[in-house]
Amino acid sequence: MKGMDTLLDVRGLTKEFKGRRVLEGVGFHVDRGEVLCILGPNGAGKSTTINILTGALDADGGQVLFRGEPIVDDPAAYKRHLGVVPQDIALYEELTAERNLRFFASLYGLRGKKLDEATEEALSFAGLADRRHDKVKTFSGGMKRRLNIACAIAHHPELVIMDEPTVGIDPQSRNHILESILRLRDSGMTVIYTTHYMEEVEEISSRILILDHGSIIAEGTKESLKESLAGQRHCLVEIDGQGETEGLAPLRSVCEALLLVEGVQSVDADDAVIDVTSQAGVENLDRIVASVVAQGFAIKNMTSVPVSLETVFLKLTGHDLRD
Amino acid sequence: MDMNGFPAILAMDMRNLFRNPVLLGYNTVFPIAFILILGWLTGDAYAHVSDAYEYYAVTLLVYGMFSGAMTATNCFMERDIKKPNLRIIYSPSGASAIWASKLIASFLFDYVLHVALILVCVPLLGISIGVSPWVFIALMAPVELFGSALGIFGCCVLHSEEFASTVLSLVVSLLCVLGGTFFSPDALGGAIAAVSYLSPVRWVDDTFFAIACDNDLTLFWPVFAGAIVLSALLAIGCKKFFRTEDYL
Repeated sequence: MKGMDTLLDVRGLTKEFKGRRVLEGVGFHVDRGEVLCILGPNGAGKSTTINILTGALDADGGQVLFRGEPIVDDPAAYKRHLGVVPQDIALYEELTAERNLRFFASLYGLRGKKLDEATEEALSFAGLADRRHDKVKTFSGGMKRRLNIACAIAHHPELVIMDEPTVGIDPQSRNHILESILRLRDSGMTVIYTTHYMEEVEEISSRILILDHGSIIAEGTKESLKESLAGQRHCLVEIDGQGETEGLAPLRSVCEALLLVEGVQSVDADDAVIDVTSQAGVENLDRIVASVVAQGFAIKNMTSVPVSLETVFLKLTGHDLRD
Repeated sequence: MDMNGFPAILAMDMRNLFRNPVLLGYNTVFPIAFILILGWLTGDAYAHVSDAYEYYAVTLLVYGMFSGAMTATNCFMERDIKKPNLRIIYSPSGASAIWASKLIASFLFDYVLHVALILVCVPLLGISIGVSPWVFIALMAPVELFGSALGIFGCCVLHSEEFASTVLSLVVSLLCVLGGTFFSPDALGGAIAAVSYLSPVRWVDDTFFAIACDNDLTLFWPVFAGAIVLSALLAIGCKKFFRTEDYL
């Protein structure tokens, strides 16, 4: 729901490439200080949406409002408040880290002392202060990624758009970047973030937007998405295959019995583990236990598995996020 | 377009060009070597060997000015430059700053090197570029600008450095052959000589030779103004055809 704190308001974006409609009425809003994660399978329209938001691409229809003003009215004014981290490393390899930062910050009108301070701050943000005089071509992939982000935020933008900024880096650098994004959010910046890594979304998102076939198919916090879209609760029951009673009922009969329990929607059995999917909100664990035991099986372990974003995504799009 | 960042973009483009050993060599060592070799080989056919050097200095200089199109394509869309230039699109400077800066940078790069080249050749090879060398040097500016504008326009229309370089290299070579850079079309008969005037290279060659040999400035202003007008038209074309999508 839009509020007074809406920084970016996207309304009914449409875009066609060579007669193929890639965006179909995409609309959403971004509030100040939040991290909005955009998810979608390949070809869903994420990059097109991002390119329109950065002002690099014109939409065929719809509009983008920044602080209530269409960005096309004064693109330069909008871009002064915008920082973009492109998917590819967009740095001069032959220049030092410091020179890259100074150059890109100067594009936003920073000069003299302000430029010095912004460069210092960005180097420290990226954890590269001690490598400031080294050429970028000597950096590891993770260091380049960090500098790629630092170059986008040196001028203190209000809105930062990050297009898969952690592709192909080591876990240590990824953690550094995710922590940095949370620091940006805490400092008051608003972040739009696309990724193929669900664990990143779990860690940093304030809200999530799921795009598929050029349209938004779901929007909300990770909790609300899991709750409202999944509407399910998973329970894994590990049984003792060597039951004490002779004439054990076959596993199939356990599954059939479980399907009769109130709230149970589906049952999958794999060797000694039974995955029971129940309707969220129905308290039926005691009846599930009773049903398994009544069939002559002993329960070795029982785990309630929360619905993951991955499950939600899969259910909504029919794809795994990294497909 | 916010002009705040433009000087920084231009300075960066100039720096990238002057640190490119291939382009530096192509615009300095390569023409000097050719002038020396061709002048020395054909010297006997001229009244003085310095006449041979003069002929090749002027023709290869004109060839170099038109070949500025290739400097421009390299400066504009070379992979290592193209990627960081993405950030210029995202900055308040905007997309037009990219092609405009590359056009000016490649023009300045070629002009500085070619002026240096001719100033070295005059005392070194004893050639003449007219009573007032500054007239000759002044006319080089719009022709260099045309070469650079042609290269940037080619990139904007063809959307790829490789393709633009191939096509422009072919176009420039054709114009130069037709215009008499490597041999005199007048020697091939009246018809060929007449056709050679379809090439702007022929007009530029004739003008520079008239200034260098006869101090004749008849064609100075037509060529000067023509090159400026064509460059302006190409720049308008760049604005029209440049697509940020090519950078994304």
